[in-house]
Amino acid sequence: MSGSRLCLWILAVLTMVFLLAPIVVIIAVSFNETSLFTFPPPHWSTRWYVSLWQSRSWREAGIFSFTLASLVALAALCLGVPAAYGLARDRFYGHKLLEGLLISPTLVPAIVLALGLYMLFSPMHLIGTALGLFLAHTLLALPIVLIIVAAACRRLDPKIELAARSCGATFAKAFCLVVLPAIRPAIISAGAFAFLTSFDEVVLNLFLGGPSTTTLPKKIWESVKFELDPTLTAVSTILITVSVGALLLSTVTRRDRSS
Amino acid sequence: MSEVALLLQSRSAVRAWRARPRVMIAGVLGFYALVYCLPMLVLLSWAFRGGGGVWTLANLTHLLSDETYSVVFVTTFRMAAVTTMVCTIIGYPYAYLLATAGPKARTLLAAAVMIPFWTSVLARSLAWVILLGRRGVMNDWLVSMGLIDQPIQMLFNGIGVQIGMVHVLLPFMVLPVWSILARLDVGLPMAARSLGATPLKAFLHVTLPLSMPGVTAGATLVFMLAVGFYITPALLGGPGDITIATLIDTVIRDLLDWPFGATISLTLVAIVGAIFALGATIAGGGRIAGLENHG
Repeated sequence: MSGSRLCLWILAVLTMVFLLAPIVVIIAVSFNETSLFTFPPPHWSTRWYVSLWQSRSWREAGIFSFTLASLVALAALCLGVPAAYGLARDRFYGHKLLEGLLISPTLVPAIVLALGLYMLFSPMHLIGTALGLFLAHTLLALPIVLIIVAAACRRLDPKIELAARSCGATFAKAFCLVVLPAIRPAIISAGAFAFLTSFDEVVLNLFLGGPSTTTLPKKIWESVKFELDPTLTAVSTILITVSVGALLLSTVTRRDRSS
Repeated sequence: MSEVALLLQSRSAVRAWRARPRVMIAGVLGFYALVYCLPMLVLLSWAFRGGGGVWTLANLTHLLSDETYSVVFVTTFRMAAVTTMVCTIIGYPYAYLLATAGPKARTLLAAAVMIPFWTSVLARSLAWVILLGRRGVMNDWLVSMGLIDQPIQMLFNGIGVQIGMVHVLLPFMVLPVWSILARLDVGLPMAARSLGATPLKAFLHVTLPLSMPGVTAGATLVFMLAVGFYITPALLGGPGDITIATLIDTVIRDLLDWPFGATISLTLVAIVGAIFALGATIAGGGRIAGLENHG
């Protein structure tokens, strides 16, 4: 290994420590026995997880978050997968512009989106309702589904679909029996990331959420402004675990396909 | 030949097949019209609303004339600029290594970027509160190692926000640069070497210029996201770290001034749009927006 290569590796290892340290520390601290945030913990215990489980409000927030994120992922897939296919197949005037519009919610600051929706939903009495949050989260999840699935559709050979059509399959049949199975890995990872987008969302919930629609991140936010409680590190660890799980699911399904 | 015959035979089928995609986009377009375009129009209308339902530019002139707000804009831009610079300096060598390392090392390096990238920003910001607090992990370690006598203030004074923002936005720099470096023809720097260039010269005159579109895309993305960032400044920042996003929050939820909040929001969108347009003319819009290809 040359000297410059060694330097690069030293830099990269330092960067990796920087990237992963907060995640490792918060996971370790959540298993601390005392309420102090010492790292590494002098004594390990799962008491903060137990207290989390025993708290009704945390449990309810967890169930609500999970249900909401599942529905958002489902809706984003139902709307997004056909649209991504359409985008990948069609070449019409201004389709680049349309694609830009469809991706743009990820680039508009979340606080601006939240405010716009807040002003729209207020007179419609959708603030604090699950429906309002569901619509807002689906908007944020759609660009991710569109990007991942459209990329997979572009890699797909259109001839296999034509072959199905020329064998007598209707359009719907060819789409469901040929296209969808072929892009299944992309659909799974798009669903996982759509779920995660909703599950981790904070800013939209602050504006659009109410007492009956408290998600885990919103409850963390409210608690951290009040006091830094060790149970928060336990909830954060759960959020991290869900993220890593989604990432693993996406990686594994893609690897299956390439091998 | 058989393919051509197939295509000719089913020309009407092909025509019908081509028409379908347009129908399939309709659902998403309807959804965007209601949940994306409509709220943005409502926001726009609030920005120009005065007392008693008259249309006015008063909110905009108020924003532009008051010095309190220009301070907020300067703070935000400074923060975004520092974040972009640090991300470029740290991110480029990392992306270079990612593009040139063997498969095993690459998996490790990529995981270290992708795990934080998809981890809740809130959880990570919370982790920084625990790490950087007065009685936090970092101060504990530094004091026990004898490097400092007194715990140093790292939170609520700008340093914490800067660290937290670099942590959140670093992947947005690494991914586009990695993507362009990985597709770079390895023969090009090798040709430069064979013509007598030192490794440094080959890098500076061949690899670096060819990877600039990736750097531009990454820098645009990091700057855009940093300007509109809310969670990290709100959680790790002190009273002196009011950014455009935290200002919008205060104006709307504490002062309940919808027209003024809408005006600041539109200004923020205009700024973000201008940054995107600038980056897109240099690096291409697709390169900036298509980042999630890696996800």
